[in-house]
Amino acid sequence: MKKVITAIATVTAAAMAVTPVMAATELTVFNSKSEIQTQFEEEASVYSEDKGVDMTVTMSNDPVITHMGTKYSSNDPYVLSMVDAKDIYTLTPEHGIDLSDLDATADTDYAIEIDGKVAALPFCVEARGVMYNKSAIEEITGEEFDPADYATLDDFKALLDKLVEGGMEAPVAIMSEDWSLAAHYLAQWIEEQEDPEAYIQKLLAGEGDIINNEKFNSLMDTFDVLMEYNYAKDAAATADRNTSEDMLAWGDVAFMFGGNWDWSLIVQSESDSEMGMMPVPQNTDDGTNEKLVGGGSKYFFIDNSVSEEQQQAAKDFLNWMALEDDGQDFVTNSCALVSPYKSNTLDVSDPLSVSVKAYADAGALIPNYNFMPDDHYTTCGATMQKYLDGKIDREGLAEELTEYWKGATIIEH
Amino acid sequence: MKRNTTSYKVTQYLMFAGPATLLFCAVVIIPLIYGFYLTFTSWDGISSSKPFVGFANYASAFGDGDFWVAMGRTLIYSAIAVILVNVMAFLLAYMVTRGIKGQNFFRAGFFIPNLIGGIVLGYIWQFVFNKAFTAIGTSLNLGFMKKSWLSTPQGAMACMIIVAVWQYAGYMMLIYVAGFMSVSKSLIEAAQIDGCTQSQATWKVIVPLMRASFVQCLFLTITRCFMVYDVNLSLTNGEPYNSSVMAAMHVYRTAFTNRVFGTGQAEALILFVVCAIVGITQVYIGRKGEVSA
Repeated sequence: MKKVITAIATVTAAAMAVTPVMAATELTVFNSKSEIQTQFEEEASVYSEDKGVDMTVTMSNDPVITHMGTKYSSNDPYVLSMVDAKDIYTLTPEHGIDLSDLDATADTDYAIEIDGKVAALPFCVEARGVMYNKSAIEEITGEEFDPADYATLDDFKALLDKLVEGGMEAPVAIMSEDWSLAAHYLAQWIEEQEDPEAYIQKLLAGEGDIINNEKFNSLMDTFDVLMEYNYAKDAAATADRNTSEDMLAWGDVAFMFGGNWDWSLIVQSESDSEMGMMPVPQNTDDGTNEKLVGGGSKYFFIDNSVSEEQQQAAKDFLNWMALEDDGQDFVTNSCALVSPYKSNTLDVSDPLSVSVKAYADAGALIPNYNFMPDDHYTTCGATMQKYLDGKIDREGLAEELTEYWKGATIIEH
Repeated sequence: MKRNTTSYKVTQYLMFAGPATLLFCAVVIIPLIYGFYLTFTSWDGISSSKPFVGFANYASAFGDGDFWVAMGRTLIYSAIAVILVNVMAFLLAYMVTRGIKGQNFFRAGFFIPNLIGGIVLGYIWQFVFNKAFTAIGTSLNLGFMKKSWLSTPQGAMACMIIVAVWQYAGYMMLIYVAGFMSVSKSLIEAAQIDGCTQSQATWKVIVPLMRASFVQCLFLTITRCFMVYDVNLSLTNGEPYNSSVMAAMHVYRTAFTNRVFGTGQAEALILFVVCAIVGITQVYIGRKGEVSA
């Protein structure tokens, strides 16, 4: 009996030695873009099967840094993380690896470099501007709508008047969320400066002279017009984003400031209106009213504390996403996003991204300023809400912003 | 077995209270101590280094005007909400212990809002204030309801208080119901034989004997109102223009949105101390005059 057991044990051991059970490399991914979580999870399952890795995608509604802080504190970092551009400057100096040697890196103009190393690669291109409902406008005016004809505020205002005369009671919707008002609209005044970095330094020193700044006044002139034609003028601070997007989709309003990420909400209205995005109209001749503001968005970095196999698996995924057919299909068709990689020539499906891609391809994007202080959108957002609600005038707005910037700390870079 | 020895007592303690003590330490005591330690560092929430900065975070916390404005706002909110919640809860408890038809149904009905999570409750009421009230106001031409109450600072505060009353009155009602039930009927009958009217019996006999219920309800509502965050987040999110940011929300934003963990933690500790002082003082004063039958 003993001999039989020994023989079985020997055969089993030999068999195990010949066919070792290889565990698939674990590729944990953090996704901070909630609207694509379902598509990402589905793709992860297909990718895992095709490439022999164990890929899992996690999303969190917590602030990115809070969530990442928890993972690092528990010594369980993600192999690959998708975070906002400004978080890259906080996270990668201590936790990221150099991505210079990736083929994907050579295929994009939007990689983030820190201290001569490529710290992160973008997932998509996103931009902000004024979204419009072409069908609704054309139905009232009876003419073909070409956004280029309304680049100046005067022309834009004339169009708004025409829409009102034609029966659209209030042709504009304004999102009242602090992030939209401050991080997206207000920030443009800084991003449009000739040298944003130098201007920020002036602001920090209290020498920004905001009330006399040409760009500030130009953008606020446009904001005043948007406020004048806002459908929620009487309760601007509580205008609901979903309702506003729905109204835009159905042509109850014709214009709304936003970005191509808004498509994920607009598409839920199931309207067949033709839509698009245009630059913020301004009475200027320096060309800024012909450009959207944006660039690379949602950046990937690879953690430096995971195993080399895991780092390689993450690099393979980034190359796949940027260069291979399936990866390009995932970004452009499944996620309906504009790819920041040159070799991805697929046509995007959502109309807002079509506009963004057209401006990006034409080099007509004003770059994002990615180093805004962490409290910028909550504090300045509240100030903008006061302005939107008519509680302060432009001088009051400039004063509050001046005070804010004197005590602000921008992201170290 | 000698029951008076230290080893016996320790063994007994570990057997009965050991697991609870361990859990309490793991989720309350250790985080509290660690949080206290963080108030002396300038940690950014990510870095492995936590530079020691002494009392700098407390200095910034005391110098943070917005924190004290939020604290003042929380005090006003708590004072009004605590009074209204308890008045409403007491009245409801009084009603559902009078033997009215279907009183058990009413008890369950009033308690249900407490079973709905704060976040969900906030979103429900946001819809009510933004859509339902304004729709009613517009169709009935009621000026004060045409515009969402959440769009003004005072309105947002009023909405927060209304939701607090809605949320907590049912829960506190149960404690008051228990208080009413605990008063012996013989005492009330004796008071009535001595010539007390119904209301005199209530105020002179029942209410004094329910002091423990008042102490408990006041303590619970004070601490809950001081620490309000979930409803604040989902109902107003601090808006309009940060005018409804309560102390807990300010602490969260300082630590996690603005990523100033040390100062946020110091402010959290100050909030904890203020809340503890108010709560303990209230319990001490309340218990001092407690009477029993």
